[in-house]
Amino acid sequence: MLKSTHKPIGGSQQLAEGWTEHKAPTGHLYYYNAATKQSTYTRPAAPVDAPTPIAPIGPSQSFLQYQSVGPGFPQGEDRGSRGGFQGNRGGRPGNDRPRPQPTDRPKSRHLIPGFEPWVLVHTKLGRRFVFHTEKQQSYWRIPDKLKDGILQLDQQRIKEKTEALQKTNEPVSTGEAPGAAERPEVHNPDGDDSSEYEEVEVTDDEDDENPTKRQKTFEIPDEPIEYNEDDIAFQLATMGEEYGLDPGEYDDGNMENWEEGAAGLELTEEDAVALFRDLLNDAAINPFSPWEKLVEEGKLVDDTRYTALTSMKARKETWDEWSREKMKAMRYMRAKEEKKDPRIPYLSFLQQNANPKLYWPEFRRKFKKEAVMRDTSMTDKDREKYYREHIKRLALPSSTLKTDLLALLKDQPLSKLNRSSNMDSLPPAVLGDIRFISMDPSTRDGYVEAFITTLNPAPEIVEAEDSEEIIRMKKEKERRQKALNDREAFVREEKRKQQRDLQHGKGVLRYQELELERAMQVNKKGLKGQLVGEGADVMDTG
Amino acid sequence: MPAIRHASKRKPPPAGFSDIEDDLLIFSNKMKDAENAPSTNVPRHQVHWPIFQISHQRSRYVYELYYEKEAISKQLYDYLLKNGYADAMLIAKWKKTGYEKLCCLRCVQTKETNFNSTCVCRVPKAQLKEDQAVECVSCGCRGCASSD
Repeated sequence: MLKSTHKPIGGSQQLAEGWTEHKAPTGHLYYYNAATKQSTYTRPAAPVDAPTPIAPIGPSQSFLQYQSVGPGFPQGEDRGSRGGFQGNRGGRPGNDRPRPQPTDRPKSRHLIPGFEPWVLVHTKLGRRFVFHTEKQQSYWRIPDKLKDGILQLDQQRIKEKTEALQKTNEPVSTGEAPGAAERPEVHNPDGDDSSEYEEVEVTDDEDDENPTKRQKTFEIPDEPIEYNEDDIAFQLATMGEEYGLDPGEYDDGNMENWEEGAAGLELTEEDAVALFRDLLNDAAINPFSPWEKLVEEGKLVDDTRYTALTSMKARKETWDEWSREKMKAMRYMRAKEEKKDPRIPYLSFLQQNANPKLYWPEFRRKFKKEAVMRDTSMTDKDREKYYREHIKRLALPSSTLKTDLLALLKDQPLSKLNRSSNMDSLPPAVLGDIRFISMDPSTRDGYVEAFITTLNPAPEIVEAEDSEEIIRMKKEKERRQKALNDREAFVREEKRKQQRDLQHGKGVLRYQELELERAMQVNKKGLKGQLVGEGADVMDTG
Repeated sequence: MPAIRHASKRKPPPAGFSDIEDDLLIFSNKMKDAENAPSTNVPRHQVHWPIFQISHQRSRYVYELYYEKEAISKQLYDYLLKNGYADAMLIAKWKKTGYEKLCCLRCVQTKETNFNSTCVCRVPKAQLKEDQAVECVSCGCRGCASSD
């Protein structure tokens, strides 16, 4: 991001005073410079030295910075002496740090099988680098071609270690290469006991030093591949537990190695977006501002909700959506609220601040920062006109002013100004008139109130305009009512018909039932008669 | 000689200008700073980079407000173009396919280069060599191909 505001030259001396001490959530002290927005764990040096504060070097950055230690790696000749040269070569300012920096130095070295001139060197602080014995060059970043050999070496070492654990505590390492590898700047006081180099390297004389003093560096997960993925995942998990961090908070580029759900277990994507929107709502941000400005200001970064969304892209998308909605809402609100006459606030401002002793240019210069003076809906020309007129009127006798005011009030139609109106609800035509502000408010208000009491009550025909609307509404309502009634009548008719059908059906049923019953009523006489009849019939036929 | 237009005689800007006025002021302040910054210890070809970049950002701001967020009116947009708050020629390029992120007009001016080609920042990242960091000579752009 472009920082255009150029800083004054030689400002570094003042920067030293700008440092403040803070305590991190992990309990460590760190130092923050409000001016440069830099923070560092190392204590900034005294101002005499003009310390250019060491930027907070991220662990991943540090390796890029010290990619090669330089050709002057003394090897062989001072094999026994473990000192090497420990002075800092870089000529960095700020040597007189209060805390002595622990120096790093090579502890052990192994030939990389298959890549003969290359040697893998382990340092006291648990880092390692490769060293080319013939070219006399060493690199923190391990070249890709050596990875196979180093992997092999690691496997071999792990095997040896397990064997050693089984049998005795035999020293595993092959040899020592004390020399001077300058310790890189990264001094991360976050001591980390899970650094696995420490337990692997068990050398006799190094163990003599009290192990508590050992400063271990924060392990960098995106170091060149040295162990297999499981190792890295395990290490990350343990570190995350120790610090109580989510893997998302120390983004390491090894996202696939994060434990399942480690990054925001309970936070769904919508929640994250909603949180970020809440933050945007709370921070009172102008939705019209560009996103870059927001990022540059860094107002949001301090809030934890900022981290709800993990990528800058997602944040920008959310911001876009939010600002779009916000702008729409603002436009809608503006359309809803009635047009305000810009003269009203200006005239009331004039009444308070206009002074016959000030010419217009002086007045304008004096109050140019005021909102009413900057309001773009009113031209400067108009402002000047009103100012001059107002000043001119201030010199008039108060009787003239009073008659003018009364004339103004009389001019108002009864619909706008009547007995029910009070000082707070004067029509804008009155408030936006120069005659209204010419008198002192205390006397003027008395006149206005007295005038209002003499007025008639508000006329009834005020709603002439919307009466048509009301009639239409009424008609509509009547129509609806009629339609409803019709519908009800129809329903009633239907019901009656149905009822009749039902009754009819019931009658028919009852009749049939009666008939059936009559048919079932068989008495002796009837049977006899029947039989007789039948017998007669039979006889007739027979 | 152009007519000197005094502030008091000017027409007021269209409605909605007050919303973006502050941000435009920030941009113009930045531009002034960039113009006044000492160029003694800056390589010769890099002297104008901040100017180009701020100009790009401001044009982009206006462009997005009008075309993407539709937050400002046509009148206000025209006013902004007329008063030099945005580069109309650059915005015209942004509307074309393949030029959506164009950094500056100089980078597509093929006639100004030795081999009649566009600037290196127009080359998509996919076609560059790996880890080839690009900073174009004319405006310091690090790549403005649409596919990036």
